[in-house]
Amino acid sequence: MIEKILRLLFHPLTFAIGFLAPLTTQSLIALEVMTSGTEALVVGLAVGIGFGLMAMIRGSWIWVK
Amino acid sequence: MGQVTPDMSVALNIADMSEEQLDVAERRIAGKYMQIVPWEIVLWGIGNTLIWLSLWPLVFMDIMPLWMAFPIALVCVHLSYLPSHDCQHSIIAREGRPLRWLNELVGHIALIPMAAPLRYLRHTHMEHHRHTNDPELDPDFDVHAKNRRQFFMQMLLKKQPGNGGRDRYAETLVRIGRPELMIEAAAIRSVHTLVLIIGAWSGHAIEVALLWWLPLQIMPFYISYYLSWKPHHPGSETSRYRDTSAFKSQLGNLGSSGMQYHIVHHLYPTIPLTKTPAAFRELKPILERRGCEFGGLTH
Repeated sequence: MIEKILRLLFHPLTFAIGFLAPLTTQSLIALEVMTSGTEALVVGLAVGIGFGLMAMIRGSWIWVK
Repeated sequence: MGQVTPDMSVALNIADMSEEQLDVAERRIAGKYMQIVPWEIVLWGIGNTLIWLSLWPLVFMDIMPLWMAFPIALVCVHLSYLPSHDCQHSIIAREGRPLRWLNELVGHIALIPMAAPLRYLRHTHMEHHRHTNDPELDPDFDVHAKNRRQFFMQMLLKKQPGNGGRDRYAETLVRIGRPELMIEAAAIRSVHTLVLIIGAWSGHAIEVALLWWLPLQIMPFYISYYLSWKPHHPGSETSRYRDTSAFKSQLGNLGSSGMQYHIVHHLYPTIPLTKTPAAFRELKPILERRGCEFGGLTH
């Protein structure tokens, strides 16, 4: 049970959705690239999930392996 | 045997000493720097964490701008490892000594910015000392690289989730019969991850990124470079006097985290970090005879 929770917590997609997506969203708003919260959230989720999928499938956050 | 002091007459005597006399002289000099409570390390370990912790309310209450807090957080995360390293070696107090509680307290508190557990690091680090540069048993062996560029590239690739490399720390803990320490490490990392996620989704993603996440991505490169790669490069020797070398850093001793004198630490791990330069200067004539590598470091 604990192992399953840890696997979920440290899964690349958890980090992508849990951290990278809101970080991207809030950075876009702070840098005034986007003003709409919803629009920025959609972009943030797309970027976050994109990186998460790359880390999950390719095994690298930066493409290079 | 003549008295061993750092003056020239004794430096000349060292050339005439037998191996046995050299051993005695070396141990006598090293002994002068051991069993000293390094109060500056106590202050450093606790003070550094308090400074890092204070950044959070200062930033969240808009007292300090984030652009100012970020470099301070970077420095704090970097400075968190060294006092804990002295505590890993029980330099403040060994088990059974009255100040043992302080050694453990400083060791745990100092590592908060690094989100790392003391005992996990201590047990793996002791194995690094026992088996320095051993391709199978040294948990830090993977830092070895042909050159600086390759070292940084390796570090970057090792951080990727599908790197396929060995988890040498986990292997080490299993080998020495302390696998439960991995649970401690996982628990601390879980708290760190949860803080990032909760902070981010409560609207403070940039703050948690710059105060904790990004410093923790950047500083391990610097720490591993000066604490592991540089003093053990090229990593091909395993003998007592050749597995670690001194080196002259372009950033000086402070800029290289005091690691110019890392050779002294490997020979006598209970000499406090802050005493290694003085110990090196006094031991130098003996280490020269031992065939140690100084990497251009003269004093």
